[in-house]
Amino acid sequence: MTTQTPSIEDLSTHPVVSRDEWLEARKALLKKEKEFTRQKDRLFAECRTLPWVKVEKNYVFDTATGKQTLADLFGDKSQLIVTHFMLGPEWEQGCIGCSFGADHYDGIVIHLEHHDVAFVVVSRAPLPKIDAFKQRMGWRFKWVSSYGNDFNYDYHVSFTGDAIAQGKVYYNYEVRPIDIDELAGTSMFYRDAAGDIFHTYSAYARGSELVGGAYGYLDHLPKGRNETGPGHNLGDWVRHHDRYGN
Amino acid sequence: MSTSNVESPRVVSRGEWLEQRKALLAKEKEFTRLGDRLAAEKRNLPWVRVDKNYVFDGPEGKETLAQLFGDKSQLLVYHFMFGPDWEEGCPICSMVGDNIDPNVIHLAQRDVNLVVVARAPLAKINDFKKRMGWRFKWVSSFANDFNHDYSVSFETEEMKGKFYNFGTGGFPGEEAPGLSVFYKDSAGNVFHTYSSYARGPEFLVGAYNYLDLVPKGRDEAGLPFTLAWIRHHDRYEE
Repeated sequence: MTTQTPSIEDLSTHPVVSRDEWLEARKALLKKEKEFTRQKDRLFAECRTLPWVKVEKNYVFDTATGKQTLADLFGDKSQLIVTHFMLGPEWEQGCIGCSFGADHYDGIVIHLEHHDVAFVVVSRAPLPKIDAFKQRMGWRFKWVSSYGNDFNYDYHVSFTGDAIAQGKVYYNYEVRPIDIDELAGTSMFYRDAAGDIFHTYSAYARGSELVGGAYGYLDHLPKGRNETGPGHNLGDWVRHHDRYGN
Repeated sequence: MSTSNVESPRVVSRGEWLEQRKALLAKEKEFTRLGDRLAAEKRNLPWVRVDKNYVFDGPEGKETLAQLFGDKSQLLVYHFMFGPDWEEGCPICSMVGDNIDPNVIHLAQRDVNLVVVARAPLAKINDFKKRMGWRFKWVSSFANDFNHDYSVSFETEEMKGKFYNFGTGGFPGEEAPGLSVFYKDSAGNVFHTYSSYARGPEFLVGAYNYLDLVPKGRDEAGLPFTLAWIRHHDRYEE
């Protein structure tokens, strides 16, 4: 794995060169970075040219303003982003990794809303549980409950006890053993002028990693992601922003 | 590029969609791994020792580059476009500011201090920071060569073309955005490890990370420049 963290010894013997020599190495890398950026553009274009699936089911969510359908969640926008936030009906609090992502939403949503995009967070916990946790975290974005509807199951971020017991959980487009009832993802929807709704895209696992930016920073730092704990992922270090203590 | 789905949608069954989605997933995974490898290469670049003693005006008074690390060994500097004569900070950098703020507390757990630097005098920076409601540390490089040396402020037309993004692109203004990374060893030596400009730090534009995936994409074709639709978060209603 190339996300590996260099040891502190590596850092103490890291090559140090003149500005000119650095510039030469930096410019060589810049070429690769530009190629990577263009590759990203092409890949995202492919994501957007996937065909769509018409949403036929009438999902109804519990929201701060009462019952709302999936169509209502668009507000006056034609594009809807749904973040699947891991907070199950029986959970005490929202998932730490999802909370880390959510710390960024308030800064992003206002800009998206001015570019024909509605942004909604959805969890399966009942609304009062969501509201209490949202208040604790100090977030303002729209967060609705899919408790009682099939939304989380249809978009493969909640799993039945049977599927978990059989070790056959469908997540990120494959069946695998997973020992948790909720997982994370991001789904995109489009509403046309006639009011029809289409599912256009969903990403799970590391597919949602671009969101937020913290990994973008860490990837550029000498120590990288530095995830050396048991999970080798952000679970090794991320806490709720009110729980870091010191 | 093919005609967008928005103009002429292709609507298929769930089964057909899944087949195409899985094919794309394989490419996405390969791209994620490519990103990991590229990130490792960035960290493997050699370092340059910083010998100049930069002194900034900050909330705690005069602070050297070494002091900006706080008690951390890694320092991230976001070069924010806010010139000495400007009325306010750049709106696009301000959107980046909206994204930076929540990261600071998490990055601090990873031995990282994140500091924003602009050339405007500190009083101007403080007023604008207050208006925007940000908490991140923001210092002024007004009195030093920092912005010049890290190629984000340009005194002449010639310099704009010659120095931005390692001389590969040029920049139309006197102040440009960027991201620089520094490391401080246990002896207190400071090293410049990385800088990135133009589209390099695009991951900082959190809204792009989402827009790239919605049907209309960035939807900027008819605009005078990319991100022209962005306003300060308190100025959309005007």
